[in-house]
Amino acid sequence: MPADYLPILFFAVVAVVLSAIAVLMPALFGPKRPTSVKLAPYESGKLPIGPARRRFSIQYYLYAVLFILFDVEIVFLFPWAVVFRDLAPRWLGLAEAAVFVLILLLGLAYVWKKGGLEWE
Amino acid sequence: MEISLPTFDFLVVAPEIVVLITALLVMVVDMVIGREQKGRLAWVALVGVLAAGALSYYLWDGSDPALHDMLAADGYALFLNLAILVAAALAILFSLEYTGRVGLAQGEYYTLLLLSTAGMMLMAAAINLMTIFLALEILSISLYVLVGLNRAERRSAEAALKYFVLGAFASGFLLYGMALIYGQAGTTSLAGIRAAVQAGGEPSALLLVGLGLMIAGFGFKVALVPFQMWTPDVYQGAPTSVTAFMSVGAKVAGFAALGRVALYAFGDLQGDWRWVLAVLSALTMTVGNLAALRQANLKRMLAYSSIAHAGYALAGLAAGNAQGTSGLLFYLFAYAFMNAGAFAIIIAAGRFEGATGGGETLDDFAGLAARKPGLAVAMALFMLSLAGVPPLAGFLAKLYVFGAAVRGGLIWLAVFGVVNSVISAYYYLRVVVSMYMREGRPAAVPAPVCAGLQVGVALAAVAIVLLGLWPGPIVDLARVAALALLGG
Amino acid sequence: MILLWLILWLLSGGLLAWLLSRWRAVWARWVSLFFTATYLASLVVIWILSPEAEEAGPGSWLIDLNLSWIPNLGINLHLALDGLGLLLLLLVGVLGVMTVATSWTGAQERTGFFHFNLLWILAALAGVFMAMDLVLFYLFWEMMLIPLYFLIGIWGYENRVYATLKFFIFTQAGGLLMLLSILGLYFAHGNNTGVYTFDYFQLLGNTVPLATAIWLMLGFFVAFAVKLPAVPVHTWLPDAHTQAPTAGSVDLAGLVLKAGAYGLLRFLVPLFPEAAGRIAPAAMILGVIGILYGAFQAYGQTDLKRMVAYTSVSHMGFVLLGVFAWNPLALQGAVVVMIAHGISTGALFILAGDIQERIHSRDLERMGGLWSTMPRMGAVGLLFALASLGLPGLGNFVGEFLVLLGAFQANVPIAVLATLAFVVSAVYSLAMIQRVFFGPNREGWDLPDASPREMGIWVVMVVLIVVLGLYPRPVLDTARPALEALQEYAAAGEHVEVEVGEASWLGSTAHGSWDTAVDGVDGGRP
Repeated sequence: MPADYLPILFFAVVAVVLSAIAVLMPALFGPKRPTSVKLAPYESGKLPIGPARRRFSIQYYLYAVLFILFDVEIVFLFPWAVVFRDLAPRWLGLAEAAVFVLILLLGLAYVWKKGGLEWE
Repeated sequence: MEISLPTFDFLVVAPEIVVLITALLVMVVDMVIGREQKGRLAWVALVGVLAAGALSYYLWDGSDPALHDMLAADGYALFLNLAILVAAALAILFSLEYTGRVGLAQGEYYTLLLLSTAGMMLMAAAINLMTIFLALEILSISLYVLVGLNRAERRSAEAALKYFVLGAFASGFLLYGMALIYGQAGTTSLAGIRAAVQAGGEPSALLLVGLGLMIAGFGFKVALVPFQMWTPDVYQGAPTSVTAFMSVGAKVAGFAALGRVALYAFGDLQGDWRWVLAVLSALTMTVGNLAALRQANLKRMLAYSSIAHAGYALAGLAAGNAQGTSGLLFYLFAYAFMNAGAFAIIIAAGRFEGATGGGETLDDFAGLAARKPGLAVAMALFMLSLAGVPPLAGFLAKLYVFGAAVRGGLIWLAVFGVVNSVISAYYYLRVVVSMYMREGRPAAVPAPVCAGLQVGVALAAVAIVLLGLWPGPIVDLARVAALALLGG
Repeated sequence: MILLWLILWLLSGGLLAWLLSRWRAVWARWVSLFFTATYLASLVVIWILSPEAEEAGPGSWLIDLNLSWIPNLGINLHLALDGLGLLLLLLVGVLGVMTVATSWTGAQERTGFFHFNLLWILAALAGVFMAMDLVLFYLFWEMMLIPLYFLIGIWGYENRVYATLKFFIFTQAGGLLMLLSILGLYFAHGNNTGVYTFDYFQLLGNTVPLATAIWLMLGFFVAFAVKLPAVPVHTWLPDAHTQAPTAGSVDLAGLVLKAGAYGLLRFLVPLFPEAAGRIAPAAMILGVIGILYGAFQAYGQTDLKRMVAYTSVSHMGFVLLGVFAWNPLALQGAVVVMIAHGISTGALFILAGDIQERIHSRDLERMGGLWSTMPRMGAVGLLFALASLGLPGLGNFVGEFLVLLGAFQANVPIAVLATLAFVVSAVYSLAMIQRVFFGPNREGWDLPDASPREMGIWVVMVVLIVVLGLYPRPVLDTARPALEALQEYAAAGEHVEVEVGEASWLGSTAHGSWDTAVDGVDGGRP
């Protein structure tokens, strides 16, 4: 049985080796002329204005989590919408998706009411 | 092309659905009511829990329906539902005044409590690796937040982080084990795995490693040695009412799933896992009891004691026979009352210390018998029951599991259990000594004890006496439940 | 049903006393006195009626009650009473009344809870002496522990917490080992016969293989030896006795120790006759060691209660010796020792308690010359000291003499050693009286003599010990059928694997009749 997994192992090894080569070759053989601009962290082309290790407002995380939540919702709703015509019985499919969305809406209402969407 | 949607017999999971809907209801009600009315949320939650309990009992007609190889409402699940709901109901009663005193956000508190209750119930009902994992995550994530809900307390935050990190680690173990088992059996359904195990003849290493990893994963949840290191810090740091709830509920749920996996799916490999569980059981009770001997903080002591009790209960599972299984079930049921009750007294004792959050050490309990005779009697009953003194429930539970171990040929394990019971008597009695035989200082705040808590404590105390004196009905139920799992 | 009512009567009496003490503390005392006295009275009625009641149960059983309790675990509420149980229940009743009376002025704090514990100890003891289901027996066995634990721990003297913990851990350890043995027997018997039961009568004559039976028997033996106490596991006793309040000491010495002896008689030997036979010589030697060691220790004490406690160790050694000699004489002797020791040691503890109440010390160095100020107490003390040393005419003599006679039939060297007890007990008993009542009154005590209440207690105790010494026949007659039955159970349960030529250590009872037992027909062990 474990022999069946050999191709996966092989694949993994090749992937690791190839990417390692891609990273290591320039570092070893490429010309190095460092300047302060080159060493600066990349921030969309702008000049950095402070150390990178500063604390972000907790609001960022809250937003990020909420975003992911509703993002993932799409993952479920999209395929559902695609095959909706083929569902039998169709009303049941609608009802189940409705319950799903309702629970999510409840969550949104909760976040809203508790002030999770206010920035200050 | 037509995709026919599967039909659901919602009655099978009606208790779980009721609890979930109640959780959402609490959340909605929390949004619309004013700050001073938050106390009513508890009653909403309590009604939901009681309704779910009634439904569980009503569903129990011996037909053992299942939902698509995912969830089952067999006797096993329903019996454990009752134990979990008892823990939830008691926890709600104990929280009535405590949440306000400590300043927990009540809406979130009761919602999460109900969500994790639902997770526990689903875990008891799960008959598929997928549902087991989903249920475990529902209950765990809710508990992580509950543990850290007391944001003003540093220890609470530390406990939550510790529990979360180690819990995630345990989930990883569990998933890895599931993946290996799936790889070998080709199905996640426990019935399918059972069939694969029966067909396989000599078990493959993959299956055994998978089972071992799953035991480790569940071992974290029920606090078996050597996966117990989070327990004392988390139990001590968490709000006491949460500790009361999780020390019972999470254990019941973990044992529920472990029992299903070991006894049902891997029932034919008993010879391979029984000795592992027996050794873990002996280790767990010994380490738990020895560590508990040295504790002066009652919450911490009870945390170690709960580790020891996981060991006793595991002895029933390690026995591997019908008697051991029903013994395990009876043990968990009895444990729900006595352990939750003991934490309730700590909640009550904290009341006399005002908002400073004391009332947890042995010294705080000194002379409690003179100040609050009723509480002291109840606490003495809980301690004696935990120590396994007849005629209380803890005694019969121990008799049951140790008897099963002897019958299963694990006499050495029973001897271990008995020796451990003697050791444990020492630290349980220290509490009684402190309450009855030492002079206490007067209460810092001469406050009355909340009526709801009194009712809960009285119920738990009466229950452990009744379970000890008249265990027939519950023993019968536990027997039926065990047979539902083991078949015939 | 009367048997269950007896227990419930005492239990409810305890609850009532606790409840009523919320209004008036003294009500707890009256309630307790009423309930213990009625309990004693109903037992006396049972005793008097017992010849007629004999049809109620099979064989030697006077009353039998078997109710279903937890049927699917094979646990029944099975209570039964025979002569042996009846005698011990009577002892419970007598000492119960005495303890309530003697603590009339003591226990000023939490009086209700005190009497609650007192009555629950008695109830649990009553249960122990009647339970015929092993789980039920274990339940009562442990149940007497908790109230006793509170009794010593709350109303005891300066070092009480240490004493209670030691007492609890010792007895709990022994008890749990017994529980293991009970479980082992349950399954061993169940595997052999298919009948899973904890019922005593069904387990009698079990066919557990000897190798297993020895281990199971040892579990029981440890539990009973701790309670008895036999010598290596006796160390909890002096501490517990010394620190306990008077009522606790009386109950402990007079009744709780008897539970250990009763367990040996009722359960250990009949259930495991062959295994018990194997350890009989060792157990008899332990008994003798207990007799002598207890006596020497008693002589060396400076604490009055500790001294009396060690005399208990000595006297209970006789019981161990008698039980394991296992012939009619020795068994009858053991029963009489149990009763007589209950009365005489109970009386000595009451005496010690009364003295302590007056001079607030148990230190023998501070006593002396008390006879001149308390002549009546002195006379009573002297009488019970004489009983303790085995003066003919008093109860202890009858019992110890019968045990020695029986022991001579079983094992001569051991019996010879045991006879030394009469010498050493004379030494410590007289030394005790000398140090308490005679000699110079160094501290110049001027104390009130016994009050009417105390005198009443003394008169009853004195009458009992004298009657038992002069006319032990009613006691012997009551115990005899029960002991005969026990010997039959044991003989029936013994395997016939004994080599030809060697008499079974207890087989002789089958042909040795009770009426001729005095002639020494019992061959005993060679």
